[in-house]
This record gives sequence, structure tokens and C-alpha cells, in this order.
Amino acid sequence: MSELVIAGWSVLSSAGFGAPALAGRLAEQRLATAPVHPGVDVSPLYPQPMPAPTGHALLELDARRQLGRKGTSCYDRATTLAVLCCQQALQAAQLDLDGEPELPGALSRDRVGVVLGTSLGSFKSTSDYSRETLVQDKPYQVNPMLFPNTVMNCSAAQLAIRFGLRGVNATVAGGGLALLAALRYASNAIDRGHAEVMLTGSVEEFSPHRAWADHLTGRSGPVPTGEAAGIFALSRTAGPGWTGTRQAGRLLGVVTGFGPDGADSAEQALAGCVARLLHRAAVAGTEVRTVLTGETSRADLGEYLPATRALGHQPERLLTKQLFGDCDAASGAVALAAFLAVDFDGLGLITGRGPDGAVGAALVKGAADVGTHRR
Amino acid sequence: MVRVAVTGLGPVSSIGIGRAEFAAALRAGRSGISPISSFATTGFVQRLAGEVVGFEPAALLRRLDPTRWGRSSLLAAAAARLAIQDARLVPEQVPAGRAHAVIGTTSGESQVLEALTGQIVEAGFAAQDPDLLEQLPANRLANAVSTELGLHGESLTIATACSAGNYAIGYGYDLLVSGEADVVVVGGADSVCRWAHAGFARLGALTAGDCAPFDRDRSGILTGEGGAALILETFEHAKARGARSYAEVLGYGMNCDAHHPVAPQLAGIVECMRLAHRNAGVKADEVDYICAHGTGTVANDLIEGTAVLEVFGTIPPPISSIKSMLGHTMGAACAFGAIAATLAIDRGFLPPTINWQRADPALPGIDPVPGSARPARVRVAQNDGFAFGGNNAIVLLGALS
Repeated sequence: MSELVIAGWSVLSSAGFGAPALAGRLAEQRLATAPVHPGVDVSPLYPQPMPAPTGHALLELDARRQLGRKGTSCYDRATTLAVLCCQQALQAAQLDLDGEPELPGALSRDRVGVVLGTSLGSFKSTSDYSRETLVQDKPYQVNPMLFPNTVMNCSAAQLAIRFGLRGVNATVAGGGLALLAALRYASNAIDRGHAEVMLTGSVEEFSPHRAWADHLTGRSGPVPTGEAAGIFALSRTAGPGWTGTRQAGRLLGVVTGFGPDGADSAEQALAGCVARLLHRAAVAGTEVRTVLTGETSRADLGEYLPATRALGHQPERLLTKQLFGDCDAASGAVALAAFLAVDFDGLGLITGRGPDGAVGAALVKGAADVGTHRR
Repeated sequence: MVRVAVTGLGPVSSIGIGRAEFAAALRAGRSGISPISSFATTGFVQRLAGEVVGFEPAALLRRLDPTRWGRSSLLAAAAARLAIQDARLVPEQVPAGRAHAVIGTTSGESQVLEALTGQIVEAGFAAQDPDLLEQLPANRLANAVSTELGLHGESLTIATACSAGNYAIGYGYDLLVSGEADVVVVGGADSVCRWAHAGFARLGALTAGDCAPFDRDRSGILTGEGGAALILETFEHAKARGARSYAEVLGYGMNCDAHHPVAPQLAGIVECMRLAHRNAGVKADEVDYICAHGTGTVANDLIEGTAVLEVFGTIPPPISSIKSMLGHTMGAACAFGAIAATLAIDRGFLPPTINWQRADPALPGIDPVPGSARPARVRVAQNDGFAFGGNNAIVLLGALS
């Protein structure tokens, strides 16, 4: 795959709207003594009992207030996060499509695509819908307007509708690897000429359903449940086609794979992904100075160990889940946003590993290094 | 230019499990519709669906433990196992990392979610079974295929609703053409579930009788389920191992209506057909058969038929809907369509639209191949896929020249 430009991006996290809030949390946590940020009191969000008093929710999120009345009445939390984040990413990429009939340059709306990563869409919207079939007098007394919210492509489709994006519109289900899967999908879409710009990201909402699932499975370790969205506008580095008016960073490559034979096989697969990334991007492992993993504690080395084995050294490790919670599908987007928001030296490696053996890694370069980095 | 062959077919459907059964059922115009058994239908007017009644995962799977995976994952993995057997391909002989799995779905592990919701309603959130929660993530569909077949390549679940199967075929095709792969297992899977049944009923899109696509008096879809997989391979790889190829993937096109969460839009679908033809290097008059999205709703069939008339002119190629036999298998639908189109090319017949009785005066010239299969030479077939959210994807398949 070819290297891609990140022409603009945005993130919504428990730290607030946009990159500065995220960067602020990263800076303040460097001074903090406790490694795990507890999040906020989540009791105002839902009437249902929660397994823990705090979580990483964006309490201020309000579709009607932040996006207006029009078209937003059926948005669930995931879609609200995605639409707000996409609006900001489009602005950052100077592709402000809201209400604009014409795009910059010769870019057609047919050539602007979307790919969003998810775990299963909105667990809450779907389960609530299923619940209605059990608790209403008749099982079909469900709200037809909310039916699309039970389908996993809801958020991506709403981005297309809101911003008039007629290019390829995809949703990939990747759980903790969702952002990597979305980056991979976007790279292919651009390489193969299906789109000039791919709005690429992932989203996950906070809900009692997710908080209880994390609690009952114990899969998030010491980290509270979180919500977030991150969307990155990707394009080619050189024409033909739109290449962006600014460069907020670069995606040097992304590789995903699978270890079908248990833990050792998954570790080998992850090390193999990292080695292949370095080889394809023609960079030395020593140029990677920051590794951003999906691990939840310093003691967990399931990603860091195979990654560093392939890198040949042990660069700084950033555990973004400790600061922003376990945002499942959006975790990778938070990691990429964290790398871009802070002026890290050198290249960043974002890794992911799922419980069934899925693995992946992406190699990225921050704005400060764009143009100065030698190939 | 790398060319891509279809070398294996794995249908797990309500009209047959495995290529031979499925092909015979298509030819005969057999219906897979039966009274719903997977959930209580009390209170529903509509009580029929296309369930895969005889699905026994343990009989088909070699590596997966059926107790650890949800029904949709098992359908996907069983379909993949059948497809790889049909292709006579030994996955271990493909270099590690050169074989990938790409599976489409609409609702992922919908029955698992429904069971968990039952537990929440019954006894609260804390009463949910953690083992079921582990089975819930939709990425498990592709992961099930990768695990079952021991594949080290990408393991991607695409969740673009009812066109997801074509998205999966398209992405797999791209992996082969761009040199990332020698073999890709592509397909789709979904399970019948109560909430989708209720949702379609409430939308007025669910029929209480037969699914009769393109019929003047058509009254909606029937929900269905299944797993469908195809083995895609580069010509070079297929030739080197002496594989038999059924058809060639010529290309595909995707776009988005960007218009409405559920209603299809004519302009988007017309453009998607033209885009698919352009990408596949096919002229409209070279298409011999269209395997329709053909859900059987008034809106879909009107818009799809109108788009076909606009793109192909007043005498379009025959267009039939296998959903008349299977019901709407959601994320598996396009993969079943691709299998049917591949069989049409390989065996020289057009799968029928069953239950069709009266021509729709709004669709003059539409030939739905009513009743039973028709012999025909099919050199190029078009497989339509549309979805909620305007996620359109169309795949073109061709005879091997």
C-alpha cells in the first residue's frame, strides 16, 4: 500500500471535544501519580444501575444542542459522536461540506468515502429494540424510526446523509482492532481508486450495556469503560486527485493478520505484522519512538513484547486506555489521536490484538515530522 | 493485470447445504420458507422465515468448538469449510499470510444479543452470562473463518448491512488484484432474529404470505438466514495447483445514496450499476443475467427494476430474485447471490423467481424468470446488493474465456 496523508482529523473523548482537550489530559496525566484515570461520575447519564460509579463518558454530548434539531431526532449516542467528530474532521481538513454545494478543487462528493470501525454498532440501541419486542403488548410494537439504529452501518450511513458523501460507505467490525481495520480498508479504497478521500475512524458509545459487559467479562482489567470517536481524513500524498491542503500527519502503512492457533500464534502474527510494516515503509525499527498499545496495564505485555521484538528495541509505551478508558472499537482512534495531538519525536506504532487471535499495527508520522522525515 | 477466479462455493442455506444441493434447489425453484422455530412468534401476524432448519455445525466444522461461538459465526465458518472443500484447497499449502477471510454481515451475532437482552429483561444487567457476552462482537464472524481454516492473513468482518456480502467479495477481489493475497475466503452470514422480524414488520416491509419479487402484488420480504462463502483465487494460483474454476470476478462498484436511512434512491443505484460496469470493463449489453437484490418490497423492486430499465434500456437482461426461495438472508444475501450467479455461468441456467404471477405494469420489459430455472448461456452476470443507509455494491462475474 502507499503512504497516505492525514489531511485533518478530530477526536471526541472523555477529556472533551477535539484535540486540545485530549492533549490536555495527556499533559496533566504525566504529572499525576495514579496511572489509571477514573473518568467522571456517570450516574447522570442513565437511570439503570451501573457496575462502577465512574467511567469515561462525554457528559456534555447533546445531539440537539450541538448539531441542531434537523435530522438528529433519531441519533443514538454512537451516531452523535460520529457526526460531531466528522464535522470537526472535515473542518480541520478544510473540507467543510456542511451546506456547501461545491467542494474545494475538482473534488466530487462521489469521490469522498467513509469507513467507520465498530464492535457491534450500538449494543444499547439494538438491545433496547430487542427489549421492546419482549415488553410491549404485541412484539411488533417497536419504533420503525429507530430500526436503522439496530444495524451496524447506522453511524457511517448518517455521516453520508448529513454531509452528502456519496463515495464508498463502509463499516468494519473489528472490536479493539476496529481502527486498524478501518485504516486498512481506507488504504485499499484509495489505492484501488474507489475514492480520493476516505473519512476513516471508529466510534464507541458509553452505555450500561457496555459497562456491564466489560465488568462481567473482566476484559478491561483495571480500566473503566469509555466512549470516544476519532475520524481522520485520508488522501494520497500526490495527485492525481485531491491530496489535502494541509498535512496533520501521515499513515506510512497498516498491516493486519491473524494467529489461528492460540496465544503464541497471535504473538508471532503481531510481530510479523510489525516486521512487514517496517519493511514496506523502508524504515528502521529504531525510528519508532512511541508504541501505543491496546493494553490496559504495565504488566500486560501481550502487544508490547511482540512489537518490540520486531522493532529490535524498546521505545516508550503509551497506554491510552489508562487515560481515556476502554473505548473498545474507538480505542485505536484515541491512540492515533493521542500520537498526533502531542508532538512526539519520531514515528509512532499503534498496535492491536483481539481475544480470538486478530492482530494489527499501523505506522504513523506526526505533523512535525512530515516533510523532514527521510525515506 | 491479475485475474481472479471463483474456485469454491459453500452455501449453508434453507434450500440446501453444499454446492450440489443448493444448485439442485435453485434449478427446481425450491422454497426454503418454513414456520419460525428460533423464536416465539406469538403476537406476530407474520410467522414464516427462511431458517436453516437442518444446520448442525458439529457435522461440518473440524476445528471450531461450536459451544464457544454464536450461530452467525458458525454459519460463516461452516460455509467457509464447505467452500474450501469444494475448491479442494488445503489451506496449509498456501504460504502463511497469503490467505485471508472477509465476511459480511448485517446484524452479527443477533441471536446472542437477543438471548442477553432476555436475561437483562428477566433479571437485570448483572444476570447476563459472561460466556455469551464473549460471543457478541461482530468481528468474530471473520475470526471464526480464520480459526476454522487456520488462516494467518487478514480477518475482516464488513458490516454494511444487506450489501455486506458484495463489499466482502469486492474487498477480497482487491486483495488479490493488488498482490496482497493468493486466496481469499469471502462471504456473508446472518441469523434470523426476533427484533429484525419486528422491525421489518413495523416498517410494513414484511409479508405474511409468499415473497414474490417483481410481482405486481408483491407484499414484502421474509427474513432469512444462512452462511455463504466463495473461494477467490488468482488465476495463477488456481492454475498452479490444478484447480477447477467456475467463473471470474470481473470487478465491482460501490457508492452511497447519502439520502435516507432506509429508503433506496434511484439515482444512487443507477450510478452504482454504471460504476460497476466501468470498473469491470463490461458494457451494459454484455450482461446476460442480473441476480437481483429483489427483496420483494414494493419500493425496492420498483427502484431496482426502474434502474435496470434506465441502465439497460427497454429490453434488459433477465433479472431474478433468489430471495423468493431463501427469504432475505441479510448480510449473507449478496454472497448467496454471487454463488447463484456463479452457478448460472458454470452450469448454464438462470435461477428463477418463484411465487411470481403477475407482471408489474410499472416495470415493462422486466423478465423475472418466473417459476423454474431456464437454460441459458451466461457469459456475464451482475449481482446486485443494496442496503439500509444507501450502501450500494454491485459485483460483476464472467465466464472463463
